[in-house]
Amino acid sequence: MPEVKSIIREVLPKQGQLHMEDVPTMVLCKPKLLPLKSVTLEKLEKMQMEAQEAVKQQELAMKELSQ
Amino acid sequence: MEVTMDPMFLAWSYFRRRKLQQCSDICTKILQENPYDQAAWSLKTRALTEMVYIDEIEVDQEGIAEMMLDESSIAQVARPGTSLRLPGTSQGGGPTQAVRPMTQSGRPITGFVRPSTQSGRPGTMEQAIKTPRTASTARPVTSASGRHIRLGTASMLTNPEGPFINLSRLNLAKYSQKPNLSRTLFEYIFHHENDVKNALDLAAQATEHAQFKDWWWKVQLGKCYYRLGLYREAEKQFRSALNHQEVVDTYLYLAKVYQRLDQPITALNLFKQGLDHFPGEVTLLTGIARIHEEMNNISSATEYYKDVLKQDNTHVEAIACIGSNHFYTDQPEIALRFYRRLLQMGVYNCQLYNNLGLCCFYAQQYDMTLSSFERALTLVANDEEQADVWYNIGHVAVGIGDLTLAYQCFKLALAFNNDHAEAYNNLAVLELRKGRIEQAKAFLQTAESLAPHMYEPHFNLSILSEKIGDLQSSYTAAQKSEDSFPEHVDTQQLLRQLRQHFSVL
Repeated sequence: MPEVKSIIREVLPKQGQLHMEDVPTMVLCKPKLLPLKSVTLEKLEKMQMEAQEAVKQQELAMKELSQ
Repeated sequence: MEVTMDPMFLAWSYFRRRKLQQCSDICTKILQENPYDQAAWSLKTRALTEMVYIDEIEVDQEGIAEMMLDESSIAQVARPGTSLRLPGTSQGGGPTQAVRPMTQSGRPITGFVRPSTQSGRPGTMEQAIKTPRTASTARPVTSASGRHIRLGTASMLTNPEGPFINLSRLNLAKYSQKPNLSRTLFEYIFHHENDVKNALDLAAQATEHAQFKDWWWKVQLGKCYYRLGLYREAEKQFRSALNHQEVVDTYLYLAKVYQRLDQPITALNLFKQGLDHFPGEVTLLTGIARIHEEMNNISSATEYYKDVLKQDNTHVEAIACIGSNHFYTDQPEIALRFYRRLLQMGVYNCQLYNNLGLCCFYAQQYDMTLSSFERALTLVANDEEQADVWYNIGHVAVGIGDLTLAYQCFKLALAFNNDHAEAYNNLAVLELRKGRIEQAKAFLQTAESLAPHMYEPHFNLSILSEKIGDLQSSYTAAQKSEDSFPEHVDTQQLLRQLRQHFSVL
């Protein structure tokens, strides 16, 4: 729309030019939404933990037996 | 007079109510009295299988060996948009790295983790070994079968009389003739014992006995081939099974094969073909959305997740992914609604409360923010989660300008997880504000070595070095930053400035 363009004029300050210096600033890492876990993953992790516990207890029992 | 229930009936009842241990105990007793009771034997295999059963479609872990010694992908240098391995080019117009954190494989972090999203695909062996464990980027396991074997041996260890069925003494040919026993036996061998080779033998003999007309056995054969890494054979079996009978599961397995072969487009076509037969099937739609997400095409992934929600409005994965997408596209209010919906549905864990807290804060609902985080902290399951929650609280503290609190939060995050690269980076920024340059530099270097895929530590180190006049290290750091985030405007400006400096010299 060329007619509209001609209506809007840029505004320049008459006195005292404003300028800004762009200084690079340090960046923070972004906040992190934690992903939810799928049912399968939760089950896998649970099973693995239980298995580890079981093995640990077995080893403890073996140690006691050998002593 | 006491009336006792028929033990077999009782065992069945226990099985239906998923009291699997009791069921298995009763079956053991029956078998002690009569070792040839096939019904009890079969029920016991089923009960033992159910105890360790995990959905085979979801299980997909690539170990380091599979990743680095991979010969199954067709094109080593694939064209953009046809491979899952170079996600760098974002076609979807999703948020850039400046807004949305990335995993080390260069994908934006997702709203939902499955066993297969856990292991990102590192570029080099060194990176694969060095990758720190965080919620979104776990170190790849050493071998895909490793976890299965560990689970299998553990289940055997807990059984004092040795394994229930001694596979090496089993006459597979005899069992493959009996359709009523062979299926439960197969599932037992496959899921409980994790002995893929014997399972394959049984499946091969059984499918022969069924004159190659039973789709179920073909799917099982395909599953075995997939576990063994013979993807082309697996594809053949699944295709042949689909010719006999259209089943959603078979489509999903076949798509999994194609994803492993790095052919996402073929997988997408397959899903669409599946949708022609099963219109509106949620698992197929989710599959499409996941592929789009993995190819970094976030906006179309979101479209498909919305389709999923039209079919099933309680689909946790879809809600979580759309929610996180809204959060990172600057609409935390809408993300908040999605996460609140999850809360209403009964999801109750640390991750959800953490996300709610963040959404509340950025949506300016300050009253709920800290209480959400408090709940998240009470629900944490391990140290990594605790670290992540404290890291996010640190952000809230930065947001309200309480830098002392922020400092403490990031320190706490590091206390719980010493590999938390983001916390190191943010701590460095705070240290620099206090004017401790050496400390800041040390933190940045740590962050850099922990997470070379993040651009922030590189960029910050570059700025810091430039300020103290070390232009050479500033330049190298800026180049690293450009490598991990080419579109970052500030990095490009800094590089231009430095080049100018050097040319003047």
